[in-house]
Amino acid sequence: MKRVPKIQTVCGFGCGSSLMLRMSIEEIAKKHGVEIESFCGDVSTCSANTCDVIFCSVDLSDRVRQHAKVPVVAINRLMDKQEVEEKFLKFIDGFERKGE
Amino acid sequence: MQSQSPVSIGIDNIRIGLKANTWEDAIRQASEPLVGSGAILGGYIDSMINSVKELGPYIVLMPGFALAHAAPSPEVLRTDISVAVFDSPIFFNSDNDPVYVVMCLACKDKASHLERLQHIAYKFLDDAHLVRRIRECKTRDELSALLNE
Repeated sequence: MKRVPKIQTVCGFGCGSSLMLRMSIEEIAKKHGVEIESFCGDVSTCSANTCDVIFCSVDLSDRVRQHAKVPVVAINRLMDKQEVEEKFLKFIDGFERKGE
Repeated sequence: MQSQSPVSIGIDNIRIGLKANTWEDAIRQASEPLVGSGAILGGYIDSMINSVKELGPYIVLMPGFALAHAAPSPEVLRTDISVAVFDSPIFFNSDNDPVYVVMCLACKDKASHLERLQHIAYKFLDDAHLVRRIRECKTRDELSALLNE
């Protein structure tokens, strides 16, 4: 069975910008009919959460990469459909190839 | 999926036509209605400012738009959101500078603000020119209608 990718969006405290980014990703996933699981995390604890990828603001990405055990995708404009779509689809493509 | 949300941002929490010399000042001005209504204590404003100093300008989510917030804290007495529109450009040292619209999010916990913030997220996703439209509002009523419709 195909595994559903688990996506963590991260911001300072896991309740503001990470939620905005999560909405963007869910919207794009729905548009492309891709099933995902998504949740919000914060910079200090995100690396302890199980997930397949972390999406976060470019301003947090260096900090997140220091401890992350999964790929980190940096986003410049969190509610820019075009940017999020491009980066989301690139991740999904790699995720599905890996699963084959 | 768009919810029949209650008002996301009350008219008393909307300020327009402001000027700020620094991003710290902009956050203070944007959060003033929240202090005035008793939603937050002054310490929460310092937390919002300190989080940018510590973590960087990641709160500038889109060109021209910042969402100031800090961790849920006892200094938040009531979950609420305010918004301020500035006539002068504000620089956070972000790629998305200059900022003209600053929103302040005060959350008591990790859940009570979700629906209202989602409503705002969908606004941005539905309208690539939302920041420009916010800036074009001439009155608080106009901006309230734009954000809450």
